[in-house]
Amino acid sequence: MTFSLRIDSSSPQRSTLHLHGRLDAMTFGEFDEVATPMLHGMAEESTVVLDLSSLEYISSAGLRSIAKIRKSMRTRHGHTLLLNPQPQVRKVFDIVKAVPLNEVFSSVAELDDYLDRIQRKIVDGTDDDD
Amino acid sequence: MAMRSIASRLALWVLVGATLVVVAGGALLFRLVSQEILEHAHRESGALANDVGNRIQARLDKITDTAQMLAALVGPRPDDAQPLIHDAMQHNPDLAGLAAAYIPQSKAARASGQSPFVSRLDDGSLISRDLLQDPSPYWNRSWFRTGLTCVDGCWQPSFVSQSRHLRLVNYSSAIMVGGQAVGVVNADVTLEWLQGVLKGLNKPPGMEAFVIDQQGTYLANDDPGRIGRQAAPTLLDALEHGDIAPVRLTSRTEKPMWVYHAPIQGTHWQFGLAVPETRIYAGVRRAFLGALGVGALALLILAILMFAITRRIMKPLGVLTERAEQVARGALEFALPAVRQRDEIGRLTHAFDRMRRELAEHLAELTRTAREQQRLASELEIAHQIQTALLPGAHYLDARCSNFELHAVLLPARSVGGDLYSYFMLDDRRFYIMVGDVSDKGIPAALFMARAITLAKALAPRARSPERLLQLLNQELCRNNDGCMFVSLLCALLDTVSGNLVMASAGHEPPVLWGNDAPRLLEFDTGAALGLDEEATYPVQRLQLRPGETLLMYTDGITEAMDSALQMYGQERMLACLAGQEEAGDADPASLLVADVERFAAGHGQADDITVLALRWHHAGPERSASMLNLTITASIENVFDTLGRCDNALRSAGIESGVREDVRLVLEELMVNMVQHGYREPHDGKITLHLTMAEDAILIELHHDGQPFDPLQSPEPALSGDIADYEQEGGFGIHLVRVMASDFNYTHDGQGNHLQLRFIYPQRPEQDHDIQPAH
Repeated sequence: MTFSLRIDSSSPQRSTLHLHGRLDAMTFGEFDEVATPMLHGMAEESTVVLDLSSLEYISSAGLRSIAKIRKSMRTRHGHTLLLNPQPQVRKVFDIVKAVPLNEVFSSVAELDDYLDRIQRKIVDGTDDDD
Repeated sequence: MAMRSIASRLALWVLVGATLVVVAGGALLFRLVSQEILEHAHRESGALANDVGNRIQARLDKITDTAQMLAALVGPRPDDAQPLIHDAMQHNPDLAGLAAAYIPQSKAARASGQSPFVSRLDDGSLISRDLLQDPSPYWNRSWFRTGLTCVDGCWQPSFVSQSRHLRLVNYSSAIMVGGQAVGVVNADVTLEWLQGVLKGLNKPPGMEAFVIDQQGTYLANDDPGRIGRQAAPTLLDALEHGDIAPVRLTSRTEKPMWVYHAPIQGTHWQFGLAVPETRIYAGVRRAFLGALGVGALALLILAILMFAITRRIMKPLGVLTERAEQVARGALEFALPAVRQRDEIGRLTHAFDRMRRELAEHLAELTRTAREQQRLASELEIAHQIQTALLPGAHYLDARCSNFELHAVLLPARSVGGDLYSYFMLDDRRFYIMVGDVSDKGIPAALFMARAITLAKALAPRARSPERLLQLLNQELCRNNDGCMFVSLLCALLDTVSGNLVMASAGHEPPVLWGNDAPRLLEFDTGAALGLDEEATYPVQRLQLRPGETLLMYTDGITEAMDSALQMYGQERMLACLAGQEEAGDADPASLLVADVERFAAGHGQADDITVLALRWHHAGPERSASMLNLTITASIENVFDTLGRCDNALRSAGIESGVREDVRLVLEELMVNMVQHGYREPHDGKITLHLTMAEDAILIELHHDGQPFDPLQSPEPALSGDIADYEQEGGFGIHLVRVMASDFNYTHDGQGNHLQLRFIYPQRPEQDHDIQPAH
């Protein structure tokens, strides 16, 4: 098994996808297959967190899958946040400038902090991210 | 010295010739004239002789008349004899004595009583005596006896009178009485007068006159000593036999002489004139000698004049001769003799002057040409240096990893040539080698060669593959190539790490490969020579060099070298020479081959440029640089990922850190997936070949696939906005990743498909040891 996915979908507002192994041309279908139905269940302005701590490797096929998720979330005015990418994955992301740096977090604490701030912004009536 | 001058020789020969003519003519004339002279002398002398004879006869006639008359008178009257005789003696002084002698006891004697004799004494007085009284009887004497018989009178021989000491001749006439001779009248005649007659002759000097009697005794002679002597028998003989014609007398002792004679009538005497022959000719000879002398003088003057004139005429020739010698020494500036006349000498002088001027111009022209040639030669020398500078060194050793070694030799047939070789690193890894031959020789070929070699180097980075390079080069060289020059070129691109060699040939000789096997020609398809057909394409040939193998590229200067028998060196000899070298070990094969060709062609000389380039693959790199993976798969995603896994394993077992391994994996995945997904228009059993090797500090990967041409380097770089969600089209990332991650990347395409070469540099081994991550 070169790739596995675990979905931690606590609420329609927030889902966390835990990626394991290699996301490449061989495995991206597997990923899409699981991720697409989950996205449909996401609410407006919800947040998807991709936990990349265990993702060893990603290729352009995997990037495309992640791009699809981001596009899908963008249409929902939601967020796709990346958690703790490993050096190879981070390198690939850097090369293609895949995601804004402020949406990549190296630890769960940082991520939670960020999510709290978003929450506050919504409460304070300040709209949208920067 | 004098005879070396034409003037003196001419004068001498003219003198000799004229002398010969004069002498010969003179001799002929002398001969003709002398005959005339002789006849003239004969006439004159003959007439003189006759005349003298007649004169003597006239004188003698008086004596004979006297004697005869006395004889007639005293016959009948003997007693008157004495007075008659006396009278006669007084009247004729020629008479020395006169006698009337009677036969003693005869009737007349008795009548006379005496025989009277009157003689003349020396003082001129006359004395008489009676002969009968003489003690010696005269009647016994011969004169008397003979006289008795002389009825008509006759001359007796001369005798010398003892009493008078005179030579006398006597004339006797018989005294006839009654038809009977009774006595003799005898007249003694002195010969003094005769001598006087001869003396009185007006004759030319040298002539000798004489009178000779019937006994051959000289009665008179210009030489008085001869009187009374006997004449020479030859003379007598001549006088006796000849008539009055002149007689030529020759004797051993005397010079030849002519004798003219006339008989004296009434006697048996002869008058003669003896003339030496020399005397006859003396005048004419003198005249001729004089003429000859004058002639000789004239000839001498003629010769001197001739000499002077010829010398004067020939003088310019002498000057011209000296000038010609000067010309031979190279001096052309001199004065020529002034031309006086338009004769041969004048024309010669003019021609000489013209020749000198034209020679000077010619020399100047030659000097100019020589200077020009010198300039050309020095320019050629510079061109040679420049051309040499275009060529890389003759020996190249891959210093970094010692994988290969290269030897090159280029020998132009002239100062500059059309052969070329070149080699250079295209990038860190790949190495270009090329050998070419321009169609012509000399400067045009050299310029074309310079163009080709420079273009090749300039186009190489753009072309990135031999066949493409040849194509670009061909297009460039076809441009404005009105001279239709072309160059055959063999171009090879060596992967300095793997020994992989890609070759393309534009009409060039096939290379030779040897090492593991015997030398053999690598025949493969070639395209047209560069510069001819703009559309030409060039097939490619791939070759994996194995350690110890040598690839030899050459031009036709090797194979078409000729020996003195016009035999070509040929490929067989070349292969044999290379096979022989195999034992020679590491020596430079290019130089050895060229030396062999030069030995072969020593008799004929080098006709064409010779170029040899030998590439020896040592493969002396570290062990790890050996090929690690060599796979060919059918194009499918599964196979691709299987391959990725094997690569990963191979790299891991080689101790390559995971970061590098993942880079490699990512790049390979992107490329191979791309090949599978986009490489084939329709489902196709495509083949992908992967070749993985390790160098000291880099991973080298070659990928080949037989799908559609696709150069990842040419695809546009995606506009990176910072968010992958921005992209409408999802492609493009992969290629971008590949380009960024691979340290070096190369793409070529040919008939076999697409060829990609990749290189990943990884940190040096010492650091690696610490970075190696544990295997998963």
